[in-house]
Parts: sequence; structure tokens; C-alpha cells
Amino acid sequence: MTVLTMLLHIVVLVVVVLLHVAYATYFERKIIGRMQVRMGPMRVGWHGLLQPIADGVKSFFKEDIIPERADQTLFRIAPVICLVAMMSSLAVLPFAEGWVLADIDIGLLFIFGMSALAAYGVVLAGWSSNSKYSFFGGMRSMAQVISYEIAMGLSLVGVMLMAGSLNLSEIVRAQGDSLFGMYLLPQCVGFFVFFIAMLAETNRVPFDLPEAETELVSGYSTEYSGMRYAMFFMAEYIGMLMMASIGTICFLGGWHGPFAVPFFPPFWFVLKVYLFMFAFIWIRATLPRYRYDQLMGLGWKLLIPLALANIVVTAGVKALIG
Amino acid sequence: MQIQYKPKRSWLGTILHVEIIKGLSLTLRKLFSRPVTRQYPEEKPEIRRGFRGQHALVRDPQTGTSKCIGCMRCAVVCPSRCIRIRIHKEPATGNRRIIDCYRIEALRCVYCGYCEEVCPVNAIVLTEVFEYSSNDRPSLFFTMEQLLGNWDRFAAQLQGPVDEYVNPFWRPRGLPEHTLPAPKRLPVSREWSGEEQVVGKNWRRHHRPEQS
Repeated sequence: MTVLTMLLHIVVLVVVVLLHVAYATYFERKIIGRMQVRMGPMRVGWHGLLQPIADGVKSFFKEDIIPERADQTLFRIAPVICLVAMMSSLAVLPFAEGWVLADIDIGLLFIFGMSALAAYGVVLAGWSSNSKYSFFGGMRSMAQVISYEIAMGLSLVGVMLMAGSLNLSEIVRAQGDSLFGMYLLPQCVGFFVFFIAMLAETNRVPFDLPEAETELVSGYSTEYSGMRYAMFFMAEYIGMLMMASIGTICFLGGWHGPFAVPFFPPFWFVLKVYLFMFAFIWIRATLPRYRYDQLMGLGWKLLIPLALANIVVTAGVKALIG
Repeated sequence: MQIQYKPKRSWLGTILHVEIIKGLSLTLRKLFSRPVTRQYPEEKPEIRRGFRGQHALVRDPQTGTSKCIGCMRCAVVCPSRCIRIRIHKEPATGNRRIIDCYRIEALRCVYCGYCEEVCPVNAIVLTEVFEYSSNDRPSLFFTMEQLLGNWDRFAAQLQGPVDEYVNPFWRPRGLPEHTLPAPKRLPVSREWSGEEQVVGKNWRRHHRPEQS
């Protein structure tokens, strides 16, 4: 019985998240369109509302081309690694009080591990495609993810210190109901580092070097088509959703809000996640891409020292007060 | 003169990335502005007088055929040499030129409008029709019958009486009346012909552009 309910929960979660991913692409295209004084998708359905479904159907039925000289096995499993790693980290996200699939005590660490695993998918895709653009994309992604993983991990250490737990539900509970309980204010430096590292970690503008379409065609996914390409795409959007969720949980107080919404406890959580998503899109519509050496310089010379200083200060203050 | 490529900024501006915030505020403002997109097949653009579209030969209501007198000026002036005219003279009617064939290769045309400007009898016109794409070439080599048919179709969808239709090539703006041949002295409003003619930048100032 418990297994069945668990399976039901998993299916519901996956379906809801996939729908969110589909409509996140619509949301993004609409908002970027409006910001560029265009309209975005308008043709399929009312104001283009069925566009994500049409895109999904299209990518399902497209021919799946595998280059002759590619490493067949790795080429096939690379997008699966990406998607599985991203999806499995959804399990530990608490959407509301008790709305979590796996309430494990190493939640935050699990998410870090999974997002580092997703980088393997990207690197393997770049390597197995046997194409120079894919290879460059994979290499860049590797370097970027490794250097920003450190900054991101360190930026969240402050949160762990304050909450005294790695369990995501515990972190939310530690922040309490009020506005001043949020870790956004005491951890503003951590939040700054986290926000930038989050953009880099999800390969979004202005750090979208692994798939820089102006230089590398499409980076690591150049040789992919059809469903496999869609899997990379889904992995990227789930990654965005996940990073937005972590930001919400660790800095914006998770599911807590000014008042409780009846019948739908994750209301505030979803709202905050969408605020993050909007910020992702807003930044994409505004900023140009960083140069590669600037990206590395920013990560190693600014973000990591800043995050380390934040840890020292947080630990010092906690030792003095507590 | 010293050109300053990088605007100076204070150290506070450098730390807080003022440029990024400026850029973000601009995109946020544009989010709430009206998009300039025109949903084309449903929403047609507003075509102004002087648009150079599909070719046509004006059908003369008296004779029922073209007004063309076979003077060959259009064929001579055409920069892309896309007009072909064959004529013969008929001594019986006092050496009048009879047109055997009048053809325009629309695919070679550059839509400069010289032909209608040079035509002394306003026989040829580039109409305001622009939706005439085709999948085969032959249908875009207009013969005389097709050109007359183009005019009939254009005249049918024209608002207002057909004989009052005038465009800035038939009656060039800004030229004094006496320099034009008689058929080109068409009745137009004062702001078109005289000193107060509204052309170029002034036009935009007088008439607010409806669709940017």
C-alpha cells in the first residue's frame, strides 16, 4: 500500500513538473517577446497557449539522428544521465509542510551531488558526439560547473550554519513565518553569490557559454535531435526549477507566506519559485554573454572569496550569539 | 576633440553594477509596452498612396483596352529591362502605333516606378496589391491581358471612384503644372501639388503614422 501511494506521488510529481517545464518554455518565450516589443508565440491555440504541446509532439515524432562516427552508447545515454540526475533531485524538495517525497537529512548535499552528476551528462554528450562544437561545449560546461559548484556550495554553508541542518524541511522551519525570519537579510552576501552561481550552474544567460549559439552552434547538444534533444531541454528547465526551489527554500522561507492559503499549501512556494523563474528570464532578455576568461575570473576571484568570508562571518556571529 | 569611449563612473557605481540595473529596468519597462508585431494574414498593413506593387495596365473605359500609345518610353527607361513591347504602324489610321504585345517580367522588375512616372498617358501603374506570389514562373510573366486583368482586380477593391485614382508617379509631387504633359495634369489637392505639398519628413509630421 505504501509503495503504491509512493508510486502515485512520484507519478503526480513527475507529471506536474513536466507540465511546468512545458509551460516554462511558453512563459519564457512570451516574456522575452514582450520585453523585445514582440508578441511571442501567438499561432497555436489562443495566444499560443498550446505551443508547448505542439513542440512536445513535434520533438517526439522527429527523426532521431545519431552521427555515424559518434560513440553510440555514450551518445544514447548522455541525455538520460542529465534528465535522471535532475529529476531525482526533485524527490527531496519540500513543496509544503509534509509535501515531500523523501524527507532525508542530507537533502541539500543530495541536490549538490545530483546537479554535479548532471554535468557528466553534458560532458559525455560533448565528448561522444565527435564534433568540435559539441566538444568545446562539453569542455566549457565542465570547467564552468566545477568552478561554480564550489561557489554555490560555499554560499549555502551560511544557510546550513544558521539552520543547523541539511534537511530542506528543517531549513524552511528554521526560518519561521515572519518576513525577518527569512535568510535573505542575514545572508544577503550568500544570496548574492548563490544567485550568480545559480545562473552559471543552470547554463543560463549571461553564463550560457556551453551552448553559446553564436559561437558553438548549440554547444554540447549540436548533434542531438528529436527526443534526445528534448531531454536535454527538459533537464535544463528542470534544473532551473530546481535551482529556483533551492533559492526559495534556503533564502525566501519556502512555503511560508503572509497568510496560509486554504486547500493549496504550496501556494507561496510556487509563487516564489515563479519569481525566481521570472528573474532568470528577465536577465536572459537583458544581459549579453560573459567572455570565458571573465567567467572564470568572476567565479574564482570574486565569488569564492566572498562566499568564504561569508562563512567566517556567519560562523563567528553564531559562535558569539549562540 | 577627445572621444570618451567609456563613460566615467564612481566606485560605488562599479561595485553595484549600475549598468546592469539600468538594463534590467529598461527591459522591465518594455515588458509593459505595446508590441509592434502585426499579425499579418489577419491584420493587413495599411498601404499608403505611392506604394509600388503589382503591375497593371489601366483599362480605358472608352475603348475597353489599354491606354498605351506605344511610345516605348517605359521600355527604354526601365533599369532592369523587364518591359517588352512589340508594335506595328497602321498607315490607314495615320500611322497610329498598334501594340502587338506588351509583356512585363515581374520577376526581373525592381519596382522603381520609373515606367509609370515616364508614361505620358498614365497607362501603366504599379498598383497597391502586394499579395501575388506564385509557385511557378510563367504566371509572373504578365501579358497584356493579365496586366489589364490586374487593373480590373485592383479597381474593384479600390475605395472611391476609379477615375479619381491618382498616385505620386502619375502626378509627381512638387512639379509645376505646366511642365507636365496634359494627361498627367490630374486634379489633386493643394497640399499635393502646390507650395504646401507634404512630402518626406513633413508627411510624417502631418499624418501621425497609424501603424509604426
